[in-house]
Amino acid sequence: MTPRRPITTIRTVITAISPSGHDVKLFALADPEGWDLPPFKPGGHIDLHLPDGQVRTYSLCNDPAEHDRYLVAVKRDASGRGGSILLHDQIRIGQEIGVSLPRGGLDLADPAISHKFVAGGIGVTPFLSAVAALQRAGRSDFTLHLVARGTPPLADLITPLVEAGQAVLHDTRTRARPDLAVLVGPPRDDIALACCGPPGMIEDFEKATTAWSPERLHIEYFVPPALPASPDARSYTLVLARTETEIDVPAGDTMLDALQAHGIDVPTSCGGGICGACHVEWLAGTPIHRDRVLTPAQRERTLMACVATSAADRLTLDL
Amino acid sequence: MVAGNEQAPPRSATFFVGVVRHLHITARAFLPMRSMADLTLIAGKGIEGDRYSIGREEGFYSHKPEEGRQITLFELETLEALERDFGIELGPRDHRRNVTVEGVPLNHLVGRQFWLGETLLEATRLSFPCRHIEEITGKPVFDPLVHRSGLNCRILIGGTVRVGDLVRNT
Repeated sequence: MTPRRPITTIRTVITAISPSGHDVKLFALADPEGWDLPPFKPGGHIDLHLPDGQVRTYSLCNDPAEHDRYLVAVKRDASGRGGSILLHDQIRIGQEIGVSLPRGGLDLADPAISHKFVAGGIGVTPFLSAVAALQRAGRSDFTLHLVARGTPPLADLITPLVEAGQAVLHDTRTRARPDLAVLVGPPRDDIALACCGPPGMIEDFEKATTAWSPERLHIEYFVPPALPASPDARSYTLVLARTETEIDVPAGDTMLDALQAHGIDVPTSCGGGICGACHVEWLAGTPIHRDRVLTPAQRERTLMACVATSAADRLTLDL
Repeated sequence: MVAGNEQAPPRSATFFVGVVRHLHITARAFLPMRSMADLTLIAGKGIEGDRYSIGREEGFYSHKPEEGRQITLFELETLEALERDFGIELGPRDHRRNVTVEGVPLNHLVGRQFWLGETLLEATRLSFPCRHIEEITGKPVFDPLVHRSGLNCRILIGGTVRVGDLVRNT
């Protein structure tokens, strides 16, 4: 059947749910027919598009060499925004969930650089896929420091690493929180540091690593920070003349995304200003066109919503 | 003036004999393309198992149905040019077209029919490059692929296409 809207997520099905310590469940997602999924980097993450419309980001914690499944660990956070509660209490094996393409991750390719991972609680998840990738490459030049209160999350997966001397547990129930400055040590060119944990830990980590080269630092946030705008990107307001609606376009967002986010169905295809699918008539303002399909004469009244932006605060469209 | 006994020029001005080098399909939008030794083409419908096969409709552009997009082709020479001229390594499974051919001037074939192995295709339009490929591959291939992003075709006579099959004029 022809879908009415663009397919924007990868269709997956929950193939396994397994408890892994207190309040943590592992969810395995796979293609409904067993096709390979898009690849991911060690430490990468995906968005889960939950049935109630929430979108939540989780680190992938399986070996990136596993092409046929994504494994995410979810800690049930009773005081959170509800995504983890929904996953824990309502999601069942066999249920379909849309996911994004994998993003982010660590660069582990250079054998001359060893790795020190610093995790707080469930923040250990991105480092599990990183550890798997390093071990598969026959490397043992890494250490995982996990700061947790009592039994760590995903203890089944962590314990073998502790026994092998590759992971150090810092139990804050029995010992003081470790000094991250001591833990990371003085700056080194041959060591890369990565940290994932709650905001307080990230702050401490940033303070402890001010002397380190940014090239040797990687931070995974639980909640993504706002993306820095490109120097010439600016926010502006779209005025839709026919419907007398105003839409704010944040700096760096495309006009097309802003329109579609407000339910305005602009046809789209190439997304790069050459196919002509998303042409929109404009009535007032100063568009910056950036397309390669319209003639100067056409630009007097038409723009391509996928690439055009505005030089002024307001741009009026014939929509 | 054309003399009455002169022959009309052939419909296909470009003579070629090319070869099928790679075959790929995938079941759904975003999934990696899977390399195949052969493909089953169904006239008027598409490739068995592919996301754009009419009736399956699980492709990234399936919400924009297009009768002339039953199978897509791409030139191996374009992959070589990407590396030579732009230093971009793009593999045959990365361009997300179904058939990678060598020695076939795809851009010359719009509106024409040609043989792909035992199957007969009709080229409906050039493929556009799209940001979707950049999103999936993470490589800046959009600009270098303008005007050489492959060919969309409808299937007039179905059959089995195998790697190594010849691609010929009608």
